[in-house]
Amino acid sequence: MTIKIQIPTPMRQHADGKTTVEVAGATVQAALADLSAKYPAIAERVFKDGKVRQFINVYLNNEDIRYLDSLATPVKDGDELAIIPAVAGG
Amino acid sequence: MDIALERYSRQMRFYGVGEAGQKKLLDARVTLCGCGALGTVLANALVRAGVGRLRLIDRDFIETSNLQRQVLFDEHDVAEGLPKAEAAARKLGAINSAVHVEPVVVDIDRTNILELVGDADLILDGSDNFEVRYLINDAAVKLNKPWVYGGCIGSHGQTMTILPGETPCLRCVFEAAPAPGEAGTCETAGVLGPIVNVVASYQASEAIKILVGRRDKVSRELLYFDMWENEQRRIKVAPLLGKVDCPCCQHRRFEWLDGEHGSQTTSLCGRNAVQVSHRTASRLNFEDMARQLEHMGEVHYNRFLLKFNAENCEFTVFPDGRAIIKGTDDVDRARTLYAKYVGH
Repeated sequence: MTIKIQIPTPMRQHADGKTTVEVAGATVQAALADLSAKYPAIAERVFKDGKVRQFINVYLNNEDIRYLDSLATPVKDGDELAIIPAVAGG
Repeated sequence: MDIALERYSRQMRFYGVGEAGQKKLLDARVTLCGCGALGTVLANALVRAGVGRLRLIDRDFIETSNLQRQVLFDEHDVAEGLPKAEAAARKLGAINSAVHVEPVVVDIDRTNILELVGDADLILDGSDNFEVRYLINDAAVKLNKPWVYGGCIGSHGQTMTILPGETPCLRCVFEAAPAPGEAGTCETAGVLGPIVNVVASYQASEAIKILVGRRDKVSRELLYFDMWENEQRRIKVAPLLGKVDCPCCQHRRFEWLDGEHGSQTTSLCGRNAVQVSHRTASRLNFEDMARQLEHMGEVHYNRFLLKFNAENCEFTVFPDGRAIIKGTDDVDRARTLYAKYVGH
């Protein structure tokens, strides 16, 4: 089972410059845990006290996981997760 | 055709606008918060489109490094040391003299935002920080006015339209602002001119839809673009409305307006600079200040700002007592420097 995770641009330097990383897991939480194991520096930036930081959202196939089942949302082969922080500049 | 409408003939010929839509645009009032990268593109689009009145708010002055992406400014504006809102208003007046453009050189904060947006049919976000965006969000929800968020950095950006009561608000989507150092800045990531134009052009299209009365055409998604990585995303945010326990639009607690968040001292994105706001009862007297500071070296001032250097920092002081201190990103040091050289 392969889930693709889109890495936000400012964090790509912590994922060997990769745009997407392939991970395994049956839920959003498990997929993100696999990403964290591969790239701990990304985990530090995405999570705080075990929760996704408040200015970062996680989207499963372009849907916000908060109206799905949050981190417990099941994922299936071929799904795509995107981690997208709020953009402040302008 | 009415001669005043002739200049909008191509826009009126477009089926979505027509003469009726154009007349609505001509009667519309818009407040634009921020006149930098996004703001200049937005102001240009709206003034050309014939929005009736545009209030243009910006606290900053023009620097050479703005010219790469801030489309209303040129080298003369830098040489004159003009505030962005003033220079933009002058340029916009030459583009379309029929539009009433009102430049306002202030820092948007919780004490002035309700007044600045109170008479607007629509609020546009051309700002560069989340403190202002959450203030806009609070004010827009409180006063039931539509607003359009836009942000960009590096080669990516995002935009979303907020119709209070109909769509999720900014706090539904982003619960909190990144703390300093938590997200990339313009300094670490830079910014490409084209992404600014893409994001602001989407914002401007949304603005025109709302102002001509076609809310049904408004995007209900968070749009995301990365011009370098060739990525585009349309994120479905509509189901968040009522699903997240939003303090702002569900409980009508306006924490930013009420001063529970935000500060008087702001580190400026990508500028190695800190802004210190200090409300003064009367406007600063630059002539006196310049005299007091002249022993430290050159002091320059015009009626909009006063500049001097001290302790390897460049100070730009505005008549309302606000200062931008460049050369540090340490807010505490900036406060100290402010107290030392600007006073109060």
